[in-house]
Amino acid sequence: MNAMRTARQTLIVCRKELRDSLRDRRALWSILFSVVIGPVLIGFMMNKLADRQREADAVRVPIVGMHRAPALVNWLNQQAGVHVVEGPVEAEKAVREQREAVVVIVPDDFAERFRSSRPAPLQLVADSSRNDVRPSVQRVQFLLQQYAAEISSLRLIMRGVSPAAMRPLAIEEIEVSTAQQRAAQILTFIPMFIMVAGFVGGMQIATDSTAGERERGSLEPLLVNPAPRVAFVAGKWMAATLAAVVSVCLTTVLCAQLTRLLRLEDMGIRLEIGPQHVGPILLAVAPMCLFTAALQGAVATLARSFKEAQTYMGVLILGPMLPGVLSSLYPIGNAAWTYAIPMLGPYVLLTDVLGGRVPGATPFLTSAGTCLLASAILIQITTRLFKSEHIIFGR
Amino acid sequence: MIQIANARKQFGNVTAVDGVSFVAKDGAITGLLGPNGAGKTTTLRMLYAVMKPDSGDVHVDNVDAVASPQDAQARLGVLPDGFGLYPRLTAREHLDYFGALQGIESDELAKRTEELLDLLDMRAIADRRTGGFSHGERTKVALARALVHDPQNVLLDEPTNGLDVMSTRAVRSIVRRLREQGRCVLFSSHVMQEVSALCDSIIVIASGRVVAQGTPDELRQQTGYQNLEDAFVALTGLDRGEHE
Repeated sequence: MNAMRTARQTLIVCRKELRDSLRDRRALWSILFSVVIGPVLIGFMMNKLADRQREADAVRVPIVGMHRAPALVNWLNQQAGVHVVEGPVEAEKAVREQREAVVVIVPDDFAERFRSSRPAPLQLVADSSRNDVRPSVQRVQFLLQQYAAEISSLRLIMRGVSPAAMRPLAIEEIEVSTAQQRAAQILTFIPMFIMVAGFVGGMQIATDSTAGERERGSLEPLLVNPAPRVAFVAGKWMAATLAAVVSVCLTTVLCAQLTRLLRLEDMGIRLEIGPQHVGPILLAVAPMCLFTAALQGAVATLARSFKEAQTYMGVLILGPMLPGVLSSLYPIGNAAWTYAIPMLGPYVLLTDVLGGRVPGATPFLTSAGTCLLASAILIQITTRLFKSEHIIFGR
Repeated sequence: MIQIANARKQFGNVTAVDGVSFVAKDGAITGLLGPNGAGKTTTLRMLYAVMKPDSGDVHVDNVDAVASPQDAQARLGVLPDGFGLYPRLTAREHLDYFGALQGIESDELAKRTEELLDLLDMRAIADRRTGGFSHGERTKVALARALVHDPQNVLLDEPTNGLDVMSTRAVRSIVRRLREQGRCVLFSSHVMQEVSALCDSIIVIASGRVVAQGTPDELRQQTGYQNLEDAFVALTGLDRGEHE
């Protein structure tokens, strides 16, 4: 009977906090902004990268002195996506002024030296300080080396030597990660954004309903209502968690739309966030939302003012960002113990899910379990704080 | 009925309440009178069970407020110092929130809300957010919120502080009506006129102690002053410079 009443009061508090925060337009906009800005920004950058990759695949090769090397021009024209044109007169100037990405110059003595099997000179004019044309330049270099390799094989065969003698090593790269896994490595920011969205989404309610409530003077009248303190704490916590989960859903949908729009397959990345991922993503992040909301509530209750609480939030937000940042410095992997760390577990689960490897039930349960345990301890602490006269009436 | 006996409360080295005892009866308006810093708010906070006395007893309708604070709170309507409204909620939503927390069923709550909106003449502001309310309007919302569960005992901490004449009269008429309904009303103020205009019984508190109690006439007799304000000054030791 008492438990039922407490549960009902918890829901009443939760409903009120949600309604109250939905009307806080300014806070809503700032949450929306911080949830949206990251994915959009990175999406924009990725799109640029993809464009460049496409440009490199279809490469235009301006050659000065085409008539001196007709065989090379022929060979180049036969390669897929290569288009040979007559080079500009002042090649270096054209490259420096960025009119051309790369220019190949065939010097006067090319044909003569080529015929007599001496190294035939070729000049490659390029500006190595330009990042945007680097794929094009590399492609041209690669094409020329390939041509050279073919010619040297032919020459060896003519002299009765097997071309294999020239290749003491046969190096073959074996890529073990699946395309989706590679994508997840590159797109480590998506798990990070989802986690930050979970953190930011609950922050407003967690601080406004504790530190803010006290600062407005509405905490005292609230506590005159005959409800156990845990009902107030749990209600506020539930509201913050729900807001966090909504914000996670929003970011997930946004990232899904982005990956579709970006045509990542052009970069050799196959990453797809489809409806089948939403369930596992939520399973991975919802327990973290419970934990972060509980943490925010406890810290904001301890803070002396709303401003101070906000300052602490600025520090705490490093929590959900840390795994993403660390993983770009050195690989975190997905050892069993990683799932048992509150912020790390959800991150590793997310990279698993987005990498196309759906982990079993144990990692999910381990991560959810530790998050729940930590939340329970924090709720206990906050409830104790809510009983302290020092906290209720300020210090 | 509210009873407090030998209640003490200390904050660090400061004794805010030093052995306060009194009884506020049903069907009467009891005034808690004292200068700023005398311990009125602390006493009231112990009565409505958000503070625990270091020692002493508090009973509300014979329920021990120290041992079972929630049972005591269910019998109390409280207007605390500073109203603490939610600026983004409407007046009606304030009543809904507190009424629901008190455990009132929604039909009953709707009926009760209508009654209070009429009683406090706040129909025009019922569905507006309280963020832009005047002081008088906020007092009405806080008062309605305190009365939403129809409490037998009503505690008002300086309810007329800073109110204009019309709003003060409105609050007084509500307080009198609560007495007519047989409720116990405890009313704190630092203004003599306020208390003498309303109260059946006055408790004068200074430096955390009850220095006198009785009807206005009894206070005049005790001090020998005809003017209640002179009596108040004499009782609280304001004339001896014990308070700023």
